[in-house]
Amino acid sequence: MDEEPERAKRWEGGYERTWEVLKEDESGSLKATVEEILFQSKRKRVIESHEQVRLGMMRHLYLVIDCSRSMEDQDLKPNRLTSSLKLMEAFVDEYFDQNPISQVGIITTKNKRAEKLTDLTGNPKKHTAALKKAVDTVCAGEPSLYNSLSLAIQSLKHMPGHTSREILIVLSSLTTCDPGNIYELIKTLKSLKVRVSVIGLSAEVRVCTVLTRETGGFYHVILDESHFKELLMMHVKPPPASSSSECSLIRMGFPQHVLAALTDQDAKPSFSMSHLEGGSGGPGLSLGGYFCPQCHAKYTELPVECKVCGLTLVSAPHLARSFHHLFPLQAFVESPMQELQGDRFCQACEGELKDKRIFTCPSCHGVFCTECDLFIHDSLHCCPCCIHSHIGP
Amino acid sequence: MASLSEEVLLVLKKVRQRKQDGTLYLMAERIAWGPEGKDRFTVSHLYADIRCQKISPDGKAKVQLQLVLHTGESTTFHFSNESSAIKDRDAAKELLQQLLPKFKKKANKELEEKNRMLQEDPVLFQLYKDLVVSQVISAEEFWANKLGGVNNTDPALFNNKQEVGISGAFLADIRPQTDGCNGLRYNLTADIIESVFRTYPAVKEKYSENVPHNLTEKEFWTCFFQSHYFHRDRINTGTQDIFSECAKQDEKGLKSMVIQGVKNPFVDLLTLDDKTLDEGYGVSTTLPSTSNANRTVKESSNYAIIKRFNHHSAMVLAAGSHFWTPLCITLPAQFFFYIFFETSSTDGNSRDSDFFQPPVKKVKLQEAIEYDDLQRVNRPKTVPLNLKKSDRYAHGPVPLQSQQYTTSQEIINSVNYIRHEMANYKPNLTQVLSSTVASSAIAALSPGGVLMQTGAQQAINQMIPTEVQGELKHLYVAAGELLRHFWSCFPVNTPFLEEKVMKMKSNLERFQMTKLRPFQEKIQRQYLSTNLTGHLEEMFQTAYNKFHAWQTRRMMRKT
Repeated sequence: MDEEPERAKRWEGGYERTWEVLKEDESGSLKATVEEILFQSKRKRVIESHEQVRLGMMRHLYLVIDCSRSMEDQDLKPNRLTSSLKLMEAFVDEYFDQNPISQVGIITTKNKRAEKLTDLTGNPKKHTAALKKAVDTVCAGEPSLYNSLSLAIQSLKHMPGHTSREILIVLSSLTTCDPGNIYELIKTLKSLKVRVSVIGLSAEVRVCTVLTRETGGFYHVILDESHFKELLMMHVKPPPASSSSECSLIRMGFPQHVLAALTDQDAKPSFSMSHLEGGSGGPGLSLGGYFCPQCHAKYTELPVECKVCGLTLVSAPHLARSFHHLFPLQAFVESPMQELQGDRFCQACEGELKDKRIFTCPSCHGVFCTECDLFIHDSLHCCPCCIHSHIGP
Repeated sequence: MASLSEEVLLVLKKVRQRKQDGTLYLMAERIAWGPEGKDRFTVSHLYADIRCQKISPDGKAKVQLQLVLHTGESTTFHFSNESSAIKDRDAAKELLQQLLPKFKKKANKELEEKNRMLQEDPVLFQLYKDLVVSQVISAEEFWANKLGGVNNTDPALFNNKQEVGISGAFLADIRPQTDGCNGLRYNLTADIIESVFRTYPAVKEKYSENVPHNLTEKEFWTCFFQSHYFHRDRINTGTQDIFSECAKQDEKGLKSMVIQGVKNPFVDLLTLDDKTLDEGYGVSTTLPSTSNANRTVKESSNYAIIKRFNHHSAMVLAAGSHFWTPLCITLPAQFFFYIFFETSSTDGNSRDSDFFQPPVKKVKLQEAIEYDDLQRVNRPKTVPLNLKKSDRYAHGPVPLQSQQYTTSQEIINSVNYIRHEMANYKPNLTQVLSSTVASSAIAALSPGGVLMQTGAQQAINQMIPTEVQGELKHLYVAAGELLRHFWSCFPVNTPFLEEKVMKMKSNLERFQMTKLRPFQEKIQRQYLSTNLTGHLEEMFQTAYNKFHAWQTRRMMRKT
């Protein structure tokens, strides 16, 4: 009865009326529909991302964390600041896992000023240590978008053209106190090809919408803590390169790991250059390690930038990890569960298939549940059944 | 001697220094004194070197001016002109008072910064001692990289001198606390004071006029907060406040701003009016007139508050635009009836009306009828990836020379063969190894055996005394710094870099001679058999090889 006039309207109008999808359940809550909408957008991202596009994989990302008075609000437990910092630590670890040749720096803003917490470096330990210490900061005043963006630009503008320059802002306040015209700064950002994304903790703010739209970033506002985590993890994947970024040859060193024993004739104990400062933490004199091919300085961990000659030192597996993004796993075919014949078991987790949807790998036709499909596409980057079938005789 | 192009600001005759008559000259960058009759200056000090000036008290017979330098020395000038001694001295003092601060900041800032860095970072301090004090490299080279910012930070931001905006709520944020006996306590920070001065320049003028001559700072602020100027019902009943003039100035300022109007084609300020319908459902039909006489008491106090709010917002915006000409700031929505001053910057490409000057009517209309969220999302165009041989990414590089290598089919065949052999294995106990040979082989392959040394953690740290390790660490830091300077010269493009590379090579050799060899000899005397400096020597040798390679290439290019 209702369907005929609706169909006619849709044909005439040609647009989706998303409000019709919202349905209340018995208690009047919209939670189920909201979750459904979120899930659909996640699936859309997976499907969209498997064309081959050029990505900016050497990334220089600045995280800007709002430390203003509104971060003391307790709607995220125990308060917004602690919760955000915890999620940031997880983000930093995941980021360096998926982008081993990139760098991160952290800026905080409060009292109408911005200050750098850590500089741009590729060492995740420094960032996690600084984030842990920052839990004790007093939240006061208003944040300043202008000052934090200009502070980030100071370093980003010196980065070479083939890298991707990004800023991710976590903004909980609804105001910003700026000493100048932020629209001018947005134009500067555009000219420097810096991509700014914002995650809002309170509500949508017009300035952030304009900022992200003009620079090509994303703007989202969180619903709750798990949504916050998802939005953060969305930024771990390298973004598509803009058409104007140059490509150039990058010089990198691939040092071999040298193991030596004390009984070898020419065993030379040496210090690693990265352990000279700091003092505590890490072994002192050691025999083996990675020696820079250009200047012969020693390091115990890779990837690192040689302090003596400035060469980027990586190992081949680090680069290979970035290939997951260039050759992404194909999206699995979604189908309703009723069509499945045979045993209703997910082939990855061996659990019973409870959802209404199942996903099938196009090459090996293995069947997976929703959770496993998300895990395979986000973290594993390869279908477990396809790998198994290659190994056997 | 004075260079001819130096600008002389003040000349004072009959000034004695060290019991000699002479003339005092104040130039653009220095102060100088020359004895009578001679052309040369015997005393000359740059303003940057002067720490402070002192004058003799007014009652004394001798009218003197003393300059104290940073180094601790002092020079005294005695003004001996009978008629105008005090005037001369005061003229010199005033001029110095104006000039010294300009030069003071520059010199002090750098020194202070250097000292601070040396104190904060003991590693840097040690490096400084090792390299500069022992004259391996000069101080300028040492500071060249450090002060400029190792991480490309702007030196201006080093001192946290960020420009700060003015929060629209700064007055509301002062939040006075009651101090128990019917009084209020206002906590003023430097930020709040600066905001007040920037927003209300009239108050700043009053401050500079009255403090510290008439009132102390505390009294000034007490007066400010008590005056009706600050409070919301600004009833100008002609009280003898120092701020009553400010109120009158503000009225004039507000009127002129309203007449200037706003650059939004849809807003005409002069036709805006505060029309209230009666309470309830607005049944009353009498139109209230806007003349002051007909206002009720309540309306007029509302009117006063609204005017105050508008004026405050306008002043905040005007103060903010001191650095930039057009401005668009969104103030917090605490004030209900304030006016948006939408003067904006220029950009023809943005769909946002804030980007246009003056806001183009067309874009404003478009904004009002279209809603972005309902439209399709336009993602920026992505660049497609053109990989010519994408299977190269799946395995490593293939060697170019013809090598003996097996195809994957051969490997599969051999695996199958071994599997077959293992399945059909029958022990042949007459042809096995003897037990002694077998047990020695097992011993060699267990942890700690001869063949398993490389896996074990070597406790070298315990074998070498900690002082030796500490010294070695310092050597590493110093050598690392020198080598970093050396490697930063490559590729050698400019003559400056050529000189630098040669200088650095000689520095490296000097370091090896003066620091490395003595250390090596010392540890040899301690009968430590391990070669502790071997790695450092390798690093130096690599650097020398690079230098020689560069030199030979340069020779070949020249010939």
